[in-house]
Amino acid sequence: MKEGIISSEHIVMIITAVCVGTLARILTIKEDFRQYPSYPNGYLIHLVTGFVAASLGAVAIPALMTKNFVAVTFLTLAIQQFRDVRKSERESLKDIENTEYAYRGEAYIDGIAKTFEARNYFALIVSFMTALTIQIVDSESKLINIISGTIVGAVVVYLLKRFSKGKTIGDIAEVEEGKIEVKGSELFVDGIYVTNQLGSENAAKMFSNEGLAVVIYPHEEHFRIALDNFGQRQAALFEATRVLGVKRYHFTRKEYEKGKIVITLVPIIKDKDKLIEAVKKTPLLESVKKSHTVMKTNLVGKE
Amino acid sequence: MGRESTERPGYEILSIVTLHKERILGGKQLTLFAENVEQQKLMAQDVAKAMKADVVQMKSGDYLVIRV
Repeated sequence: MKEGIISSEHIVMIITAVCVGTLARILTIKEDFRQYPSYPNGYLIHLVTGFVAASLGAVAIPALMTKNFVAVTFLTLAIQQFRDVRKSERESLKDIENTEYAYRGEAYIDGIAKTFEARNYFALIVSFMTALTIQIVDSESKLINIISGTIVGAVVVYLLKRFSKGKTIGDIAEVEEGKIEVKGSELFVDGIYVTNQLGSENAAKMFSNEGLAVVIYPHEEHFRIALDNFGQRQAALFEATRVLGVKRYHFTRKEYEKGKIVITLVPIIKDKDKLIEAVKKTPLLESVKKSHTVMKTNLVGKE
Repeated sequence: MGRESTERPGYEILSIVTLHKERILGGKQLTLFAENVEQQKLMAQDVAKAMKADVVQMKSGDYLVIRV
């Protein structure tokens, strides 16, 4: 390595690591777009914070190599910055709660905010590992350095994605269409009482003509712990209402005997397949995790 | 509903429409007395429309207008 302020080798290392780290963030934004509040400015914010995270990871190795040990303490700054990302995401989602068709619920917001924080660590770890690889390989050829760093970065992205990928409702339960019955002002789905808020004739007529319902059947008894959680049901209801829109009314109800969960609404787009898909794809919230059997992470890429 | 009663959304009773005067006991909600079932339905519906609220028909025959 050349002596001086910054050598060309270090420049290559930093640029490669920053690019790979930022790319990791871009890929994870796309991967998780359903959880993402889909506004372009939010997209940009997370790309920029991802870039900053990647930069912090990229300069750690050159800092160490130039015996600038104090500079590594800026990693603590990174942690602070990522916490702020979580905080700002939570605040932003809470601010728009009242404008949504249904509440996301605090548990879901917490899960999304944590995911955003974790995704910044992705960028940092990936760029750090890329830089470390380039340093270890330390070939005469810059191209070999870049390629080896990129390959390791890609492997790390893959492993981290597998590791952080949670399960969805569809993994632990069956979701089937429910039969709606309106008896007087009471609403039943597959014989399960849901509500008595259909007191007016219009409401009863609207629900029996246009209502859609799904029933969630947990595969195992212990999955009920997660599914019965209010935050989890609220998240499923939110996803359902976001996909189909809500003309009027949305309800969720749990049945105590067998642990069935009802989600029902009068949607704008009446598409039962989309509704089933939306509920199935609702992530299992980390905050409801009570048992390893409910949420195993996929560390080695096992489906 | 157990735990759910402490969660959002909170429910608020805006109005009660009854056919029986003796059931009007007070409270912060608007309590209306209807002369017949048809009038009762209309009154409940009108209040619900104005307040963008929902109607619940109780087994006793009274109507509640509630807002989520």
